[in-house]
Amino acid sequence: MAHPSQLGFQDAASPVMEELLHFHDHALMIVFMISTLVLYIIIAMVTTDLTNKYILDSQEIEVIWTVLPGLILILIALPSLRILYLMDEINDPHLTIKAMGHQWYWSYEYTDYEELGFDSYMIPTQDLSPGQFRLLETDHRMVVPSESPVRVLVSAEDVLHSWAVPALGVKMDAVPGRLNQTAFVASRSGVYYGQCSEICGANHSFMPIVVEAVPLEHFENWSSLMLEDA
Amino acid sequence: MAGEEEASRKKGFRLLGILDVQNIPCSRDAILHGAGGSLGAGLLHFLATSRVRRSFDVGFAGFMLTTLGSWFYCRINNAKLRVQQRMIQEGIKNKLVYEGTVADPTNKPGADTPSGPT
Repeated sequence: MAHPSQLGFQDAASPVMEELLHFHDHALMIVFMISTLVLYIIIAMVTTDLTNKYILDSQEIEVIWTVLPGLILILIALPSLRILYLMDEINDPHLTIKAMGHQWYWSYEYTDYEELGFDSYMIPTQDLSPGQFRLLETDHRMVVPSESPVRVLVSAEDVLHSWAVPALGVKMDAVPGRLNQTAFVASRSGVYYGQCSEICGANHSFMPIVVEAVPLEHFENWSSLMLEDA
Repeated sequence: MAGEEEASRKKGFRLLGILDVQNIPCSRDAILHGAGGSLGAGLLHFLATSRVRRSFDVGFAGFMLTTLGSWFYCRINNAKLRVQQRMIQEGIKNKLVYEGTVADPTNKPGADTPSGPT
């Protein structure tokens, strides 16, 4: 999960997020080199004693600063498009979950085999147990099996919301009357936190998302328990 | 545990305030190679020409080229390793899932299949 004063991404918990992290490193190195070049040129311009009052144009420099940015953009665009299409690949999900946004909580429906549904409200700060995270914990987590492709159908019951879990590299708008689809594979077991990412009213900041990835056997036990309690 | 992780990440040094050299794979090596290449190129040019300002320019160009070259070489190798790692993980998972069945990749062709419990 995120820690205070964090600037970078959270550790990746899905293959797509790993690819996004690597692309970000690639783009950041290019940005860093451009920044260094510009800084060096500025220092060189400021510290030189030479002047030329009669220069009008130069074909060579014009070619360089036209072709080079084009090449840099291609260098950034190709991996970016690769990841874009990778994220859209159909991956034969093992499980489909509906995530419905409400004011101001999420509800999850597991309807592949039995009718299992529950609401997920944020735990208020005064009710937190020691070790729990403020504004991030929920009373019921969305439990998924790890290392299995999971499809999430996102929609909303009232206003716009957005279902986002940064560690899994997932963000999808929840639009009333529309069903949006996203998918992820949790590479490892763990608890992954996210928050509503579309302004939706007074408690927009207080409807978090918690995804708990567990081994398949544990997931089966959990779903049996939830069905018994329902 | 979150506190230890936070402490180690806070210690990370960011070049120009943006490049986290410690936590980005290949960045530290690329920057160090670039620094070495810059020093070498600039020094050699100065020794050959005694032109200070131009030597700085050559040194900077050396830094850019060496850093980018080292970076992309390391990243390509890293990407190949990641692909191999994923293939190995898939292979291990498939072996565990399909062990003892017809789809087991280690099944030798022509082996007698058991007829069932007697």
